[in-house]
Amino acid sequence: MARTLTFHIFRYNPQDPDSTPHMQDFVLEETANMTLFIALNRLREEQDPGLMFDFCCRAGICGSCGMVVNGRPRLACQTKTKDLPETITLLPLPVFKLIGDLCVDTGTWFREMYTRTESWIHTSQPFDPAKEEARMDNAVAEAIYEMERCIECGCCIAACSTARMRPDFLGAAGLARIARFAVDPRDERTDKDYFELIGNDFGVFGCMGLLACEDVCPKNLPLQNQLGFLRRKMGITAVKQLLGR
Amino acid sequence: MAVSLVTVDRPETGQRGGRVDAVWDWVQVLSGLGLALFLALHTLLTASVLLGASVLNAVAGALEAVHLDTLAHWIVPVLFLVHFAAAARKVPFRVREQRALWAQARMLRHADTWAWIFQAASGMAVLLLGVMHMWTTINAGAIEAAASAARVQSGGWVVLYLLLAPLGQAHAVIGVYRAGVKWGFIQDACRAQAVRLGLYVLAGGLVLSLAALVRYATL
Ligand code: HEM
Ligand code: SF4
Ligand code: SF4
Ligand code: FES
Repeated sequence: MARTLTFHIFRYNPQDPDSTPHMQDFVLEETANMTLFIALNRLREEQDPGLMFDFCCRAGICGSCGMVVNGRPRLACQTKTKDLPETITLLPLPVFKLIGDLCVDTGTWFREMYTRTESWIHTSQPFDPAKEEARMDNAVAEAIYEMERCIECGCCIAACSTARMRPDFLGAAGLARIARFAVDPRDERTDKDYFELIGNDFGVFGCMGLLACEDVCPKNLPLQNQLGFLRRKMGITAVKQLLGR
Repeated sequence: MAVSLVTVDRPETGQRGGRVDAVWDWVQVLSGLGLALFLALHTLLTASVLLGASVLNAVAGALEAVHLDTLAHWIVPVLFLVHFAAAARKVPFRVREQRALWAQARMLRHADTWAWIFQAASGMAVLLLGVMHMWTTINAGAIEAAASAARVQSGGWVVLYLLLAPLGQAHAVIGVYRAGVKWGFIQDACRAQAVRLGLYVLAGGLVLSLAALVRYATL
């Protein structure tokens, strides 16, 4: 039997001086294989054309549909309504700048994170387009790819209490970014260089190990293991520096 | 004037190379683990009263003979204060931070996030109660079952112990788990087991210390 779903949806348009943050209820008949992507699009088509939310790939690839579903940040396009109770509360991701309703600007945050982590391969090798690419061990390539799978949805940042309390905290996605370059043999940066970027309370030492990032990442990145790996690496680097080595 | 007097506002890169932060982080984990180790031994010592007052007196006497008590009387208060100073850097003292943390915890309903709030709150409680407890016991001199029993039976202290023992133990168990996670010794594959082990240790510690309190009350 089809269920009748009730959506409590956060509404607010910061651009409109008359708008105030409030929750609005919508009622919708559930259909087979319904995802939140389908539900929200139907709400917009049938009930309120002004409802703001983001989607693009609807396949868990672009990372634009992150929102808080019954308390947990997740991808709306990958969330089936049949896995949820009849009452569904949708909030925009915290931490990020609100564009309106469920729509947030993750782009500016990730852009700044990439600048802060200097998210490119640092090499002194001149680029020769005619040359064959340097070969890489398969295991190393896979370790890099494991981190590259991040789709920048922002769920790990929105779930992190540290990020919510301290806006300049790099967060799991940012630290995982460093872990990705740290295993890449083409990047010539040393532990000391990485320490300059993340060896402080805005970086790895700010993480309090609450593991909400690990528990919500829709792509199941090994965030817990990478955060621990980086803390040890940076902790040891600090000790070495203090000992003058 | 010296260059060091200038603070450069450079938001796009954050603060670079914070060796100070790294040192504090080491201090926090090492002092926390040191205190947890002490607390484990302390729990066993107090629980030895369950085997009889004479057993506790004998164990305490042996410790005092090698001056371990004097050592503890110096090291533990120092660790306590240092640990507090280190941990306080992470505790949200500002109302804006507290609001954000509270909203986050209620939104997420996530056990590890609640555990951290409990840890920060229990830490502050343990600081107060622990200082009171240490002040009296360190000034009291020799460790004796009769003296401890008299304190427990005097009334007020039993309330303090009933708060301090569970809060301290829970804080320590969560703290060791968190230290393991933060430094990568507890990996994702064994996280559930670590949580289960922690709960067993906590249950064991609580049973031991509560039983010891009952024994003191009836000694
Ligand atoms: C003076 C009162 C205390 C306060 C305010 C306090 C506070 C805290 C806080 C807030 C944390 C978490 C910090 C973080 O995750 O970044 C922590 C960690 C910890 N605490 Fe305490 N604590 C106190 C006393 C104790 C005592 C008496 C023990 C041991 C019995 C203890 C053992 C630990 C351990 C093992 C950790 C984990 C270390 C880490 O995560 O780096 N603490 N403490
Ligand atoms: S472990 Fe916790 S504090 Fe650290 S990045 Fe993840 S959610 Fe944030
Ligand atoms: S690490 Fe996971 S949760 Fe965080 S942005 Fe990347 S895919 Fe999203
Ligand atoms: S729409 Fe692209 S990840 Fe959901």
